[in-house]
Amino acid sequence: MELQLGLALPTSPVNDFDLNCHVSDPTEAASSDLCGRGDDMISGRSNKKRGFIEAFELPPQTLPLLLWNDHPNDDDDDDDRKGVENSSFIAKKNDDGYCIVGWPPIKFRRKKICSHNRDDNDRTVLHNGSARAGVGGGVNPNSKYVKVKMVGVGIARKIDLSRHHSYQTLTNTLINMFGKCQQDAQSFKLAYQDREGDWLLAGDVPWRTFIQSVERLKILRIGG
Amino acid sequence: MAYSFPEEVLEHVFSFIHTDKDRNAISLVCKSWYEVERWSRRRIFIGNCYAVSPGIVIRRFPELRSVALKGKPHFADFNLVPDGWGGNVYPWIAAMAMAYPMLEELRLKRMVVTDESLELISRSFKNFKVLVLSSCEGFSTDGLAAIAANCSGRFSEESRISSFDLLSFATFFLSNQTKRYNRFELKPACEVDIGSPISLIPDFAHHWCPSTFPAWPPRCPSLRTLRLNRAVPLDRLPNLLRRAPQLVELGTGAYSAEHRPEVFSSLAGAFSNCKELKSLSGFWDVVPDYLPAVYPACSGITSLNLSYATIQSPDLIKLVTQCQNLQRLWVLDYIEDSGLDALAASCKDLQELRVFPSEPYDMEGNVALTEQGLVSVSEGCPKLHSVLYFCRQMTNAALVSIAKNRPNMTRFRLCIIEPRTRDYQTLEPLDVGFGAIVEHCKELHRLSLSGLLTDRVFEYIGTHAKKLEMLSVAFAGDGDLGLHHVLSGCKSLRKLEIRDCPFGDKALLANAAKLETMRSLWMSSCSVSFGACKLLGQKMPRLNVEVMDERGRPDSRPESCSVEKLYIYRSVAGPRSDMPRFVWTMKTPS
Repeated sequence: MELQLGLALPTSPVNDFDLNCHVSDPTEAASSDLCGRGDDMISGRSNKKRGFIEAFELPPQTLPLLLWNDHPNDDDDDDDRKGVENSSFIAKKNDDGYCIVGWPPIKFRRKKICSHNRDDNDRTVLHNGSARAGVGGGVNPNSKYVKVKMVGVGIARKIDLSRHHSYQTLTNTLINMFGKCQQDAQSFKLAYQDREGDWLLAGDVPWRTFIQSVERLKILRIGG
Repeated sequence: MAYSFPEEVLEHVFSFIHTDKDRNAISLVCKSWYEVERWSRRRIFIGNCYAVSPGIVIRRFPELRSVALKGKPHFADFNLVPDGWGGNVYPWIAAMAMAYPMLEELRLKRMVVTDESLELISRSFKNFKVLVLSSCEGFSTDGLAAIAANCSGRFSEESRISSFDLLSFATFFLSNQTKRYNRFELKPACEVDIGSPISLIPDFAHHWCPSTFPAWPPRCPSLRTLRLNRAVPLDRLPNLLRRAPQLVELGTGAYSAEHRPEVFSSLAGAFSNCKELKSLSGFWDVVPDYLPAVYPACSGITSLNLSYATIQSPDLIKLVTQCQNLQRLWVLDYIEDSGLDALAASCKDLQELRVFPSEPYDMEGNVALTEQGLVSVSEGCPKLHSVLYFCRQMTNAALVSIAKNRPNMTRFRLCIIEPRTRDYQTLEPLDVGFGAIVEHCKELHRLSLSGLLTDRVFEYIGTHAKKLEMLSVAFAGDGDLGLHHVLSGCKSLRKLEIRDCPFGDKALLANAAKLETMRSLWMSSCSVSFGACKLLGQKMPRLNVEVMDERGRPDSRPESCSVEKLYIYRSVAGPRSDMPRFVWTMKTPS
């Protein structure tokens, strides 16, 4: 695909406002780096110079900021790699295995609803019609079940946070749930993941704030 | 010297012209038409609140009655825009409070709306009738209560309040009671259909009890839309329906209860009484046993939102096949291919289908929903033109079939959950499939891509998608050539949003002019360098080139370093002044 130097790209609907105007604009000295790359390609079009004013008036007819060549991907391998390094692939890791922020593209509210549904309705029950009525009747819309994992324990548990009103009762219950005694409790700390996916230590914010943003819990050993 | 019509005549003629496009065209004819038009324009849509300032709008259109504004970029829906980015509506409200005392309608999308803003609205506009907040944030029930309290008495019987159901409920309630309820007691039972934080919703449950709202509602002759909160139990529904049998849109609360025959028959009776019902949604926690109660109303239903209903395919099929006049269906992928086959066979009027993932973060699928389901619907439903489909596998052949079946497609959004998924039969990229979509669907104006895609798909898009206005791209392409095809080929492109693609400086700079013809361009996790952003900002005075980077100032890194996020939009208002610490506008030298 050959692009003409200077004027309109054949398929472009806009009469080629391109920005290599440091050629046509004598006052502009700044972008000399970019000018360097484009220079080889602009030798042919001296009859197309325009003044600065003319260039910026109405649908301006200036030249590309960077002239297009057929093989844009040839140089700049480094840039491409930089792009990949910056990509959000590296972003968040969450326990569900998906590491990518904002993917799949579903709205926040729907994500929350889905996870509520998932926690409230045990998947096995969904496949078993007769058990469903019981679940349906028993669903307490105020309950807030979150997953709890303890480091080193294979199977996660679920706890209904709406039954608790303080960090103390929560931690007591958790300790019992995982079969530890109160003395052992000293060597553990509780972390939680909030709505934005960040992991924070539990206990720093007021209970009410915590309750509203907690998504899941993790019990960690102090000192690794 | 040409005579022109007296202004009154022109104004009368213009009063028949409603669309923005036509009005904009009229205003370009000559100065006097421009003047008449601007004084007579009553409604305006501003797709990017930063493209223009309140002052400019008010100066040009002094007599507006209806304003629609959009704030954050679309990708904010998926957490790609950090908190505090902007889009606060308050400056607009403050300006309009002075300039448009007769304002009647305000529609806001993806904006930050504080309680302060809502209170100002409630005090400033004596004729206020319609408030629509879509995907907005920043307010609480206090702000909503202010709206309800101060706007209520003025709503006429005929006025329809769409999408702000809180208002219609509160309005009715307040206008029929003496004002003995203060703002704090008014925590209404209606879901505010505006993407409010989920924590707001459980709050109300504590306030919904018979003693607070004893006889609600005696009769609600003007209530057209009612969407209940998830916490409203099912056994309240029959009563509500009986008092508002003229309801057109209903969102149920929790649709679950222990199976009791008297509740069921009461519910079924109430539904059969709702002769005007066209739209159903809600169905939280749904228990299938109660679904047949809805059947009496199904023949009139044109819009069904089951996207929160975690029921399986057989129950979904039974419900959906009752709705012969269905035009719009939103559903979870529990519907599976078999359900979509049934849909294709029964609902010949279907125009819009959205299938959402029940387990979006599972690596493997949990349901038997494949590309085949979409192909069936595309075959069986001749009016289908709008699709949003989440699935885990796709083939070029399926896409080609869909394209050939439905050349009338206008919106096609396909999300294959795993990025860069190949055609599972041929193991090729999905270029050819999407190419067929843009080639056959000549009226396509919105497209979202997914799967493994090379620069080829962009070549197809640039060549064929001449009516495409909005394109969403993720994890696709090989390099700048891809972006160049789109920017140089898509004549009608207004919004382009790109994430995680290897597009760099070259295509962007070579097509800089194109950006002024578009509303906005979003690029995140691509390869656009800071240097290129600076250059664009310097050379393009009518563009705001905003770099978003949470790593700190972009000039603390080499110029060749890629920026995290880039948001470019045309504006006549210049750079904005409310940027948070992680956003920088590339300046145009003055």
